[in-house]
Amino acid sequence: MQFREALRSAMTEEMERDENVFLMGEEVAQYNGAYKVSEGMLEKFGPRRVVDTPISEAAFSGLGVGAATAGLRPIIEFMSWSFTLVCLDQIMNNAANIRYMSGGQFKCPITFRGGNGIAHQLAATHSHRMESVFSRVPGLVVVHPSTPADAKGLLKSAIRCDDPVIFLENEKMLGDRGDVPDDPDFTLPLGVANVEREGTDVTLVSYGRPLQRVVRPAVEALVKDHGVDVELIDLRTLRPLDTETIVNSVKKTNRCVIVDEDWGYCGMGSGVLYKIQKPCFDYLDAPIEYVHSDEIPVPFNHFLEEAMMPSVDRIVAAVKEVCYR
Amino acid sequence: MPVEITMPQLSDTMTEGTIVKWHKREGDKVKPGDEIVDVETDKATMPFEASEAGTLAHVAVREGERVPVGAVIAVLATAKENAAEVKKGAAGGQKASAAPPAAVAPPAPPAPPAKQPAAKAPAPAPAPAPTSAPRAAGARASAARERVPPQAPIAGAAASLESASLSEVHEPDEVGHGATREAATAVPPILGHGQYGHGEGNGRRVLASPLARRIAADKGVDLGQLAGMGSGPGGRIVQRDVLGFAERGPAPSAPELPTPGGAAAPTPATPPAAQLPQRVPSGQNQVVPLSKMRTSIAAALQRSKQQIPHFYETIDVDVEAVSDLRAKLNERLKAENIRLSLADFIHKAVCAALIAHPALNATYDEKNNQIVRHGDVNLGIAVAIPDGLIVPVLHSADQMGLKELRRRSAELIERARAQRLKRDEGGGGTFTVSSLGTYGIREFSAIINPPQVAILAVGAAEKRAVVRGDAVVPRTTMSLTLSADHRAVDGAIAAEFLQTLKAMLEEPGMMLV
Repeated sequence: MQFREALRSAMTEEMERDENVFLMGEEVAQYNGAYKVSEGMLEKFGPRRVVDTPISEAAFSGLGVGAATAGLRPIIEFMSWSFTLVCLDQIMNNAANIRYMSGGQFKCPITFRGGNGIAHQLAATHSHRMESVFSRVPGLVVVHPSTPADAKGLLKSAIRCDDPVIFLENEKMLGDRGDVPDDPDFTLPLGVANVEREGTDVTLVSYGRPLQRVVRPAVEALVKDHGVDVELIDLRTLRPLDTETIVNSVKKTNRCVIVDEDWGYCGMGSGVLYKIQKPCFDYLDAPIEYVHSDEIPVPFNHFLEEAMMPSVDRIVAAVKEVCYR
Repeated sequence: MPVEITMPQLSDTMTEGTIVKWHKREGDKVKPGDEIVDVETDKATMPFEASEAGTLAHVAVREGERVPVGAVIAVLATAKENAAEVKKGAAGGQKASAAPPAAVAPPAPPAPPAKQPAAKAPAPAPAPAPTSAPRAAGARASAARERVPPQAPIAGAAASLESASLSEVHEPDEVGHGATREAATAVPPILGHGQYGHGEGNGRRVLASPLARRIAADKGVDLGQLAGMGSGPGGRIVQRDVLGFAERGPAPSAPELPTPGGAAAPTPATPPAAQLPQRVPSGQNQVVPLSKMRTSIAAALQRSKQQIPHFYETIDVDVEAVSDLRAKLNERLKAENIRLSLADFIHKAVCAALIAHPALNATYDEKNNQIVRHGDVNLGIAVAIPDGLIVPVLHSADQMGLKELRRRSAELIERARAQRLKRDEGGGGTFTVSSLGTYGIREFSAIINPPQVAILAVGAAEKRAVVRGDAVVPRTTMSLTLSADHRAVDGAIAAEFLQTLKAMLEEPGMMLV
């Protein structure tokens, strides 16, 4: 099953399960979704539950927050998370804080989802990696799946969650294929990382697109060609961070490399590093390495875009450095 | 009657020895078989065992001092004697000739006549000890029973690395790789020698990873002893350095004993490598006196290259089959915690090929006009150590399976690095293997280690463009270069050996045939 089909089946199942769940966003209905994620859903659920919106993120995300506060469970699709820069007020101020500011009188069970990060020649303004922006906000849950099965299990949990969930996808992953359970009760817990491969020499921490693009190939090369027994952790949820799983792993391997496609300074990996460096300190045999994108605007040129991002070589070099090889 | 312990002759060519470390202090009880002192000969550092029981009454030669073979280095009080009195007697004699703090101390004077065990002196030490000074009458003929095999442990091989980690292209061998780096990086002393946490001298901290500090605390290792010698960047001490240190124990180091009588501290015969500055300051020259080992390497290699008509043959071997086999076997051996290296397979194949071609498993006996072919393969493995190289010998290697080869060669190399080889491991080799694969060296020619008649130089296993049929394909390939002594072996014989070796490595099943 494709990644986009997994997302669709999660939404469809949840809409069948709970009539309060509905989908809203640009092109989600008539056009079957800008990236065909919601293909066929208008036909199945009708225009009351699959709603096309004007091109105004501020308007329809605000509408969603209001609907959630009033008791519905909206799924808001963004064509790109880069566009949410115009509706941070609705997400960071309103959605994240309503429960706290109302003393628990209101909750905000809303799922915001869409393509995040660098997705091939979308240029500087459409390639923002927004995870570090949202992951620092108390009141939000941030999820970034890396496989079709995870996408389905995590999206179903997100829709069922009573707090606002930032659900990050990537346009270049929508065609990824993988086995996906068709059990309508299949969910994956939020806030729990996945030890994707067990190993003894080094802990490699990543999530989302880089896993698919470079991290898994790097792990294969490290194991096969360099004899490094890598433990690979897919974070799955970026907030709340599953610190315990990472720390337990680093205590075993004594080395850690974090990989993402964010900018390094104040990037997602910096936050992870901050969370683990203290509990891991006495177990580290080398400083924690962080492989991230170069700190430049994302170039449109294909080659320059590739060059700014983490590569297999950069990851292998970082791992060898912490292993002193 | 007190027993005088004299500088033993630990090899045929040894004329003097340096006291590296005393394992017993004055007043310690000693029983036969106890290692009492480490002695550096011209070849290696070896432990020397007590042959009598008693109390170490007097240490006549301090750590770092060099004395001729046969000189008294200590006096043992036997059960009937009072150690303090024995010391008084021995030390009194010593003072009379107050040893200057020279690199070579004069031999200790004889003990007072009344205590000389003249009757017990069975024979003078056999060595041509170059001394006009009186040799202690009680010189025990310990050297005689401690002869080393006739062959020198110092390699005639070109500067070489141990071959446990040839497998760069595939999987670097854990033991070999780590240890190799350790040896290679043991020299640069970027940091000072301050104690853990608060440096003395130049006031710099000891750099160590948090994990290394924790392990050191658990194991009671003083990180100051490893200062500046860690294998991490900038000499950072990391996990493997502490574990290695805890396992091997401290390397023989320069002594810092207080000097009685306020005399200057003795100059160690070989300054520890760690004290050399990392680079020679611009505008200055640095003089490096030849260590015993360097002198010995220089003489042995010059003799070999001048006297032996070397010829060289190189063959390329496709190592993909043997690498696959290695991966398969390692999967099965995981439970036993054994990881075979490519080197183990090469050693195995070399042994099998030598049994099939005895002309190469031979020694050249010039004196008797004969060549001796050996029924066992005693395999020399060239190992690089910080200020030289050494070729420990794996005896009867042809009778070992891969598991045993792995384990025994790892132990052997470890002991060679620590310069703690057992006596028979230093010589008696019938063939030598030397590898520079880990440095990415494609091929090289080694110098024969006489009286052996050949040596194999192993290059890196690397992907090369190889023509198969009419196509160029990438294959993991390795070049092997045999150096042979033309007095004993001819070109065709050497070529046949290499053909057999190639066949065994390309089809490992051939080793069973």
